[in-house]
Amino acid sequence: MLCEQKYGALINSFSSASGEITDLEAEGCRDFITIDCSRNEVHKSSQDPTTPHNDSSDVESAPLQTSITPDIKCLVFPRGDISRFKPARPDSSGILGYYLLDAASVLPVLALDVRPGQTVLDLCAAPGGKTLALLQAHSVNHLWANDLSVSRTGRLRKILQSYVPKECLDEENIHITCIDGRELGMREEKSFDRVLVDVPCTTDRHSAVVEENNIFKRSRTKERQKLPLLQIQLLVAGIQAARQGGLIVYSTCSLSQLQNECVVQQAISVAQEELGITVQVQDLRWFTQRFSDTFHFAPQLSVGELVLPHLCANFGPIYMCKLQRMN
Amino acid sequence: QEPRHLNSSHSSQMPHSPVNQLTLCSLLQMGFSQTQAEEMHEAALKSRGKHVPSVLTALFVLGFNPSSVLKILQKCPEVYSAKGEELQQRILNLRKMGLVEGSLQRMISHYPKVMVLPLKRVNAVSRLLKEKCHFTTQQVTEILRNSPEVLEEDLAQLEYKIQYTYFRMGVRQAEMVKSKLFRLPVSELRCRHSFLERRGLYQTPDKKGQTLILNPPLKDILCASEETFLMQVASANAEEFNAFRKLIARELEEEDKDEYSSSDE
Ligand SMILES: C[S@@+](CC[C@H](N)C(=O)[O-])C[C@H]1O[C@@H](n2cnc3c(N)ncnc32)[C@H](O)[C@@H]1O
Repeated sequence: MLCEQKYGALINSFSSASGEITDLEAEGCRDFITIDCSRNEVHKSSQDPTTPHNDSSDVESAPLQTSITPDIKCLVFPRGDISRFKPARPDSSGILGYYLLDAASVLPVLALDVRPGQTVLDLCAAPGGKTLALLQAHSVNHLWANDLSVSRTGRLRKILQSYVPKECLDEENIHITCIDGRELGMREEKSFDRVLVDVPCTTDRHSAVVEENNIFKRSRTKERQKLPLLQIQLLVAGIQAARQGGLIVYSTCSLSQLQNECVVQQAISVAQEELGITVQVQDLRWFTQRFSDTFHFAPQLSVGELVLPHLCANFGPIYMCKLQRMN
Repeated sequence: QEPRHLNSSHSSQMPHSPVNQLTLCSLLQMGFSQTQAEEMHEAALKSRGKHVPSVLTALFVLGFNPSSVLKILQKCPEVYSAKGEELQQRILNLRKMGLVEGSLQRMISHYPKVMVLPLKRVNAVSRLLKEKCHFTTQQVTEILRNSPEVLEEDLAQLEYKIQYTYFRMGVRQAEMVKSKLFRLPVSELRCRHSFLERRGLYQTPDKKGQTLILNPPLKDILCASEETFLMQVASANAEEFNAFRKLIARELEEEDKDEYSSSDE
C-alpha cells in the first residue's frame, strides 16, 4: 500500500471523442470488466448452481443477480505493468474522454447492478467518481447525489460538468444536494431502487502516505472513534431510503473490520430492531471470482468482500457489501 | 609441459629477446605452446602495446604460469598496452595495501583490470574508505580482496552507498565488509532494502541502535541470488519484486527530477 497506487480509466460514454479506447488499448490497457466477464462466461453455467442464492427470487429473479451493468467500461494496465495514464482529452464540446480512479472503486457500482429506468441514491457522493460510473449506465432514470460537505459537493458539480453534457444534467435526471445523509433516510423513505452508501472512513491508503490532516493524528482521535457510529447511521439511512426489494451497497476504502463487517452487522440489527426493516446480505462470491484476475480479494470475510492492495495489482483497499431490503 | 619454475628460467632468457619486440619465437621460449603463442602474438599486435615483454615479465614475476598469463590477458587485453614499470608500481602499491602473496595473485587473475587502474585512482578509493567512511586499514584490504570492482566505482556513488547503509540501514562497517555491498550497485541495495522496509521487515535503528523487529543481516539481504533473497528474507515472489523494482526506479527518478527542478528555481 506504500507503493504507487494503480489507476483505472473509467471510459466516459458521454464523450464524443473517438478512438479514446483504441488509443488506450494500443498502450496495453484492457477493459477489466469485459475481459473478466468473457473469461468466466464459459464457466458461468456450471458455476451458477453452486452459487448459493438467497431466497430472494420472489423479489427479483435470481439469475439476473449475477449480471453486470454492460455500459460501464474501465480500462486498466495488466498485472505488474506500472504504466500511467495520460490526462484525458476533451472532445469538441469540452467533455473529457475518461476519468482516472482506483479501478476497484468501480466494483461497488457494478455490484449495485442498476437496471434501466431505476432510481438511484448516492448518499455520500463527492467528489463523484462513483456517481460518474453510475451515470455511465445510461439507463438510470433519476440519480440523487448527496454529500454533507459543501466544498466537496462543489467538486462533484465540477466533475459532472467536465464529463456530462449540459442537456443530461438537468434536475429531472440528476439531483444534487448537500445535506446530512442521515436525515435522508426518513425524508426519502422507500423511494429508491438502488442506494449506494460510500461512507467516510479512515481512507487507509491515503492515510498511509499523506501526513497532512491525517485522520490518525491525535487531534482527530474523537472523530476517528465516532466513524463507525456515523457509518452505521448512514447505512441505516440508506436502507431506509430503499424501496422493498431494493438493493443497497455499502462501501469503504478501509481495511478495518470495525468499519466494514462490524458496521454492516450492526446496521442490519439496528434496521431490524428499531425500524422493523429486514435486509438480507447478498452473496458476492460470483463477483469476486469474476474479477479475481484483476483484483486481490481478501479470503473469508464474514460479510461482504474486500479488495486488498497487492504490488502487482495495486488497487484498493475497497470493501463492499450488498444488501437487499426485504420489506 | 608448462614449466613451474619460469621465474628463473625466464629471466635468463629475457636478454635474448629484443626488449621492445615480441616474436613468436620468444613467446615459445617463454613457455607458451604453439597455439598460445600465436594467439598472444596476434592479440599483442592488435593492441599495439609497445612493452609487451616487460608486461609479461611482470606477470611471470608474480608467479603466474604461461596459461594463466594468457587467461589474464584474454580477460583484459588493455594490459598489453601497459608499461612493465607501471605495472610493477601498481603491484607494489597493492602490496602496500596489505594484499599479500596469494591474495594478490587471486585478485589479479580474477580482476586483471586492477593492473591498468592508475595509482591515483586506487589511492583515492582507499582514502575515501578510510578517511571519509572510517574503515580500518585491515577492512580496506578485505574490501579490495573480496570486491576489487569497488576501485572502479564513482567516488560520490560509493560514498553515498556507504552512508545509506550506515545511516538508513544502521549497519556498521564490520558488517558491510562481510557482505556483497561493494559488488552491487547502490540501486540494487536501495531496491532490496526499501522492499523489506515497506513490507515491514526492516527498520532503521534509533539513536541507541534499537529496533522493534529483528532486522535481517546485510549479508542475507545482498545474498547471492534474488531467489534466495525473496524466499528467505523477503518472503515474496518474483512477480511482486519485479513490479516493485519498476516502481522504485520510477520513484527515484522522480525524486532526482524534483531535486533538480527545485534547485533550478
Ligand atoms: C469516501 S467519500 C465518497 C467518495 C465518492 N463516493 C466517490 O466515489 O467519489 C465519503 C464522503 O462522505 C461525505 N460525508 C461525510 N459525512 C457525511 C454525512 N453525514 N452525510 C453525507 N455525506 C457525508 C464526505 O464529505 C465525503 O465526501
